[in-house]
Amino acid sequence: MRVARTLLGGLVLYAFLLLGGLVADVLGLPLPGSVLGMVLLWAALEAGVVRLAWIREGATTLLGLLGLLFVPAGAGFVQFVDAGWVWLGAVAVTGVGAVGTIVLTGLVVQRGMERG
Amino acid sequence: MVELACLVGTVVAYGLALRLKARTTTPVANPTLVAILLVGAALGLTGLGYGDYDDATSPISFLLGPAVVALAVPLHQERETLLAHGRVLLLGAAVGGVAAMALGWSASALLALDDDFALALTTRTATSPISIAIADELDRAPALSAVMSIMSGIFGATFAPPVLDRLGVRLPVARGLAMGASAHGIGTARMLAESRLAGAASSVGMGLGGLVVALVVPGLWGS
Repeated sequence: MRVARTLLGGLVLYAFLLLGGLVADVLGLPLPGSVLGMVLLWAALEAGVVRLAWIREGATTLLGLLGLLFVPAGAGFVQFVDAGWVWLGAVAVTGVGAVGTIVLTGLVVQRGMERG
Repeated sequence: MVELACLVGTVVAYGLALRLKARTTTPVANPTLVAILLVGAALGLTGLGYGDYDDATSPISFLLGPAVVALAVPLHQERETLLAHGRVLLLGAAVGGVAAMALGWSASALLALDDDFALALTTRTATSPISIAIADELDRAPALSAVMSIMSGIFGATFAPPVLDRLGVRLPVARGLAMGASAHGIGTARMLAESRLAGAASSVGMGLGGLVVALVVPGLWGS
């Protein structure tokens, strides 16, 4: 049963992935099909067109594995090891940027919530 | 044979990284980052080209698309948090996202980085599966985008909470949304350790933050 539900969930997710790609193509939107598929599925869940129960197992399984799924893509860094000092700059920007962005976002949201 | 070894090796590397993670509390021991470095070292030692490895592991990468779609589930589950503070959360994610993209893009121009690095730095606040999808869409380097997004998560989860404390950002929803929007899954795990509400807000932040980047970058890139 659990396997069947996981597979059903996977099929629904895959259908929305294809749908997202199709809509992006037809409308000429410069958005990854997967992101559009996420938005469409979210809307379908809110509208009650898709029930959470259909996809919960599949989605939970996939999101539980998420950390593994982008290992192959990430390993492609080996093509860029020759970039040398560029990495230093990139790491610095990422580090300063992460803390700066989080602090800015946190301040904006907290101020907004305090004002009601 | 080589294909199978690549698949099994990737799963084993991730398994080892998970075991390491269980033994330590430092966020630098992020399982994905450790597994990526292990695979990179293995490729270097065996002399196997990345193209061959990438082909062999396509069954794993194939699942990334449905996994991005699956991010709709936490957004749906946390709709009450979203609805209660919708406008403020959107504003926060938009301001943070735009500032992050502006910094990444202008720093890349300043350092005269090539397009692959520039895109990876511009999209770094989107969670890896989304920044990878954007890099694919624009024919740049998914690998760099993945690594920069993961590093944004590690740096954010490690160094941002004490700064938030010092600046008096105490509301769980504000802390959570901000962490999720730049530090994704790693930040969400960190926020869940603070409270469920902060963790929920962080999932929402991860979704909104990725969406902001995905809406802005592909349209403006190269135009």
